[in-house]
Amino acid sequence: MSLAAIAMLIFGLAAAAWAAGRARACAFAGPGKARAHSLPAQHGWYVALWTAIPALLFLSAWSSVSGNLIYADVLASPEAASLPGFDMQRHAVLREAYALATGQSETAFHPQARTLAPVYERAVDYYGRIGLLVALLIAFAGGAWAFSRVSPHFRARTRVERLVMGLLLLASLIAVLTTLGIVLSLLFESLRFFSMVNPIEFLFGINWSPQMAIRPDQAGSSGAFGAVPLFWGTVFIGAIIAMIVAIPLGLMSAIYLTQYASPRLRAWMKPLLEVLAGVPTVVYGYFAALTVAPAVRDLGLSLGIPASTESALAAGLVMGIMIIPFVSSMADDSIAAVPQAMRDGSLAMGATTSETIHKVLVPAALPGVVGGVLLAVSRAIGETMIVVMAAGLAANLTANPFDSVTTVTTQIVQLLTGDQEFDSPKTLAAFALGLVLFLVTLALNIVALRVVKKYREAYE
Amino acid sequence: MNKSVERTPTDWNGAAMRRRIRRRYAAERRFRLLGLGAILVSAGFLAFLLVTMLGNGIGGFVSEDGGIDWNFLTGSDATDPAEVGIWGAFKGSLLTMIVTLALAFPIGVLSAVYLEEYARRNRWTDMIEVSINNLAAVPSIIFGLLGLAVFLNVMHLPRSAPLVGGLTLALMTMPVIVIAGRNAIKSVPPSIRDAALGVGASRIQVVFHHVLPLALPGILTGTIIGMARALGETAPLLMIGMRAFVATPPDGFDDPASVLPVQIFLWSDEVSRGFVEKTSAAIIVLLVFLLAMNGIAIYLRNKFERRW
Repeated sequence: MSLAAIAMLIFGLAAAAWAAGRARACAFAGPGKARAHSLPAQHGWYVALWTAIPALLFLSAWSSVSGNLIYADVLASPEAASLPGFDMQRHAVLREAYALATGQSETAFHPQARTLAPVYERAVDYYGRIGLLVALLIAFAGGAWAFSRVSPHFRARTRVERLVMGLLLLASLIAVLTTLGIVLSLLFESLRFFSMVNPIEFLFGINWSPQMAIRPDQAGSSGAFGAVPLFWGTVFIGAIIAMIVAIPLGLMSAIYLTQYASPRLRAWMKPLLEVLAGVPTVVYGYFAALTVAPAVRDLGLSLGIPASTESALAAGLVMGIMIIPFVSSMADDSIAAVPQAMRDGSLAMGATTSETIHKVLVPAALPGVVGGVLLAVSRAIGETMIVVMAAGLAANLTANPFDSVTTVTTQIVQLLTGDQEFDSPKTLAAFALGLVLFLVTLALNIVALRVVKKYREAYE
Repeated sequence: MNKSVERTPTDWNGAAMRRRIRRRYAAERRFRLLGLGAILVSAGFLAFLLVTMLGNGIGGFVSEDGGIDWNFLTGSDATDPAEVGIWGAFKGSLLTMIVTLALAFPIGVLSAVYLEEYARRNRWTDMIEVSINNLAAVPSIIFGLLGLAVFLNVMHLPRSAPLVGGLTLALMTMPVIVIAGRNAIKSVPPSIRDAALGVGASRIQVVFHHVLPLALPGILTGTIIGMARALGETAPLLMIGMRAFVATPPDGFDDPASVLPVQIFLWSDEVSRGFVEKTSAAIIVLLVFLLAMNGIAIYLRNKFERRW
């Protein structure tokens, strides 16, 4: 019996326990009888939770232990004596035997897998039965104990609610755990990378060629891990070209929508901008590679500049379009937060609307706009699919927008796809790049939020 | 010091003043046109993108004899562009989204409830808040790295399975749901809580019987938007190996699978001419689903939004 089936069985038992607990509580509750502390359903929940939770806890512990127990059992059997000693092959045979035993596959490549399959089946069956038995025992014991406590004076509600509170706290801790998981996994793998590659070379070197040689005596066997061209490419595409597109367009859209547009136009255009933000980045990437990049190359060639098909300009342009909604909605918020009195004052002095916007609204909203732009930059440099599909792989250190540059995210994808050995500096470099990316976006977000917050306080 | 400044009243009808006012009004009109232009550029780009995709992709749905290409709707990945289908990737997306929803929705709603209704303000809850706000802004590829390091290399879950993809995307979607959920819960007026407490409900009953049902439309809107984002996400799934060639639709949560955006990415890399059409057709399918989800979210927001 699989663990999932046992879990379903336990849930069924818990439902029965709920009904039993409730029925017992109903017997003593009701008009004309003793005043019970808790409602019948709350007693039911108490019994059900005691039936399910200890048993499920046991089951989750068992699921992590039983695999190893089965493995040890199979290895100890006489049939396993003929297994090859070499680790990889041994593993492959065992995996095939397991697949045969559980019915996942019908054929086996290794003949030994066939002889091992019955052994595996026996072991799986044996430990499955133990797990089922113990889980049921725990469920019945917990349920019976809780059932015996159901009485008019028993405070079932308090207990159930305490558990619910614990559950709520647990749920909110998941976010902290995720953050911790990100930091620790990036840090751990990066440290392994930096034990092989000098961090100074990584951060300040200008030569990036992460190819590791297959044989140690091959020429250029140690890859070069100077990440400066990557950082430059990321900044060039995400923070320069994309922002040159996104800031004027986004800001002007926000100004037009808040100050000039009729309510009807606004009601149409705002969702439209939201749609622009909702288009998946892989679609933008495909569009950039298919339509924009050839157009940019033709433009470059007609200007007499040797242009690459994977130019920084194409990726940056499309990324800028993608960012417009972010800039526009942040600018929208901060312009709306400028007190109406300031606007009215300026208009009353005889300034036209555009003069009011230039001289009063935009300067007053500037901190909010800057915060929004920082958030947009952090989003742009972390954006992956557009640059993977439209930007190149050549780590050039160039300021020519028609040339091809590569970015941090492109390289992460490049390093981690294809064949993987988990200990090579090539794979670990991806985590070091990820760590840099994480820290930079984190810093940008914190600064941006602080700027926005401070500015809000100024007008409250 | 006491000499008064000699000033004549402004001559509004003088030629210089008229010129000046004309200039200022022209600047006003120019600025206004500039703003309109900015909006139109964004809208025009969107229209151009959609028209290009439709123009390229509509042929992907049509078979050689002019009818609907059922093979495209029911098949899976293949090496020949005439044989490929979208169903395998669609089913992979569906399974991944089920895992994501099953994890992100309860966890997101429960933490929103905790933070908004019960948590005392102290250093501990500040830390939870800060990490949720930061998670919402972390680049998606970082979640992919987390999934690779934790789910694949530490927990040894199967590669390129909807289970792992769903777990990774759930971590990414959860902060979105928490933030939307907190805003929805915040908008329920305190008088509802006071009334419930006044007739003897416990604090848990107040939230689960009264506040949550009233906040549900807002929470659902946020959830749908978060799920739409997860459905279009590619980068983290590439990290956990969901870029393998999968020629059969997945049968379970631990089968190797592809998802729609990754399938689009894989087809876009193919050199064969026929794949342009199929890629654009797959993009149309994806966009239709995303637009439908966003449409439902907007509808829910408009229908159930309540001003107290």
